[in-house]
Amino acid sequence: MLNIEDLHVSYGPIEALHGISIEVETSEIVSVLGSNGAGKTTLLKTISGILNPTRGVITLDGVVIGGMEPSTVVRHGVVHVPEGRHIFPNLTVQDNLILGGYFGTAAQNSENLAFVLQTFPVLRERLRQRAGMLSGGEQQMLALGRGLMGNPRVLLLDEPSLGLAPIVTSEIFAIVRRLAKEHGFGVLLVEQNARKALDISDRGYVLVNGSIELSGASGELRENPEVQKLYLGGRNVDARL
Amino acid sequence: MWTLVFRGLATGSIYSLTAMGIVLVLSTTNVMNFAQGDMGMFLAFIAFALLMRHVSYPIAIVAVVAVGLLLGALLERGLMAKVRKTTSHLGMLIVTLALTMILEGLAGYFFGTTPLLFPPALQGDPLHVFGAILDRQDLLSLAVAGVVVFILFLVLYRTKIGIASRSLAEDEYAAKLLGIPVRSIYIFIWATSFGLAGLAGVMVAPKLSLEPGFMIVIQLKAFIAAVLGGMNSVVGAVVGGLLLGVMENLVAYYVPQIKDSFSLILVVIVLLFLPEGLFGRRAARRA
Repeated sequence: MLNIEDLHVSYGPIEALHGISIEVETSEIVSVLGSNGAGKTTLLKTISGILNPTRGVITLDGVVIGGMEPSTVVRHGVVHVPEGRHIFPNLTVQDNLILGGYFGTAAQNSENLAFVLQTFPVLRERLRQRAGMLSGGEQQMLALGRGLMGNPRVLLLDEPSLGLAPIVTSEIFAIVRRLAKEHGFGVLLVEQNARKALDISDRGYVLVNGSIELSGASGELRENPEVQKLYLGGRNVDARL
Repeated sequence: MWTLVFRGLATGSIYSLTAMGIVLVLSTTNVMNFAQGDMGMFLAFIAFALLMRHVSYPIAIVAVVAVGLLLGALLERGLMAKVRKTTSHLGMLIVTLALTMILEGLAGYFFGTTPLLFPPALQGDPLHVFGAILDRQDLLSLAVAGVVVFILFLVLYRTKIGIASRSLAEDEYAAKLLGIPVRSIYIFIWATSFGLAGLAGVMVAPKLSLEPGFMIVIQLKAFIAAVLGGMNSVVGAVVGGLLLGVMENLVAYYVPQIKDSFSLILVVIVLLFLPEGLFGRRAARRA
């Protein structure tokens, strides 16, 4: 479904991604692991149209979306939930959600809203509150819910676990996995919390300094000695790098 | 006393209209627009020209607001959108300063620099209500400002484009990611703001005399009103404008010595002790 081929991205004269190829299929959760500065966020920003590729092709079901405006990419169904959540703190929870469905028809949006509130019941109680008053976990749920309002075919998730208690992270990851399987959208998950990411994903890629060093099924990656050493902090140790 | 308060509110309503325009543009596009007042001046001249050709008053007002909307949209599309790509916010601020000179120059060229008498929309003796003397034109500006504020709030809080505008003021990156068409919103904001400028110009022109520099004072006062309201809050701009109008009028009556310097003293006090203004948004984030 989402195909990225030989993607190069530069910030001025400095190349950040050196020819990356990634694919995400329907209902599939794909994680991208890597340390700070490996180029994970650059990858997502390029897919969603914030950055332009210098070379390479990004397609969704064969339609080129690489290098398009973010609004075009969103309309094709690729929705980016950014690192740090970026909810609108002074808008109500409801207004935040409404903006997630900016291009939807009224009927679609009310259907999606019902679905989001069913998925995250805590948001229903807080619809009229300012989003900035939510807890970190609730804000992440809002960011996800806002993304779901856009009828995603592929959801790009950037560090959804950032700043959350482990139990909240697990809850959110479980919801993401269930939704992807039930509703058939793909998820490209960028995470520093490699253990949790590999737990919910089907496949994974390891990004090192802008190139993909390793890829494979999540189970294989978890057993890979190199991955264990660099990203899993040794066996049975839940550490973040 | 009530007469003073009422007159203050009427003048304040003009400050509010102008301040709303300034705050709308500043909070969404991050440009401090110095041309808001002069755009009102220019549009007031257009209204004057229409009235002199025996166009009826309501039609002249509607026409001028329409021209304001159009000029705002054109400015954003034709100039600001391009300038935004190549220069900083400071550069765009300079563009608005240049715009004030262009507008004042054009007005002087076409209409002359001799002060003109702008006919009031409502004539007739002032009304007496509970001992207060209410001028009809003042009543009209208050009513118009009230209606405009109401409509503007409906748009900002109840329509998609309004909510999107507010989201842009909060987090442009997130708004872009959601696919909100940022460029169209900018056009909408500039158009709205210059539409407001037109209304302010036409409402205040009969109280002052029409000449190329007549809105400079209003621009300054509106800026102070915006500071008072917190610079990023439309509610703040409205309340700040009304409050400034009333305070100014009372001060001018009771302490005439500081009549002219009062608003400047006020701005210093506000910035020293209440830098967020009355309605400024502290980021309402919880960790």
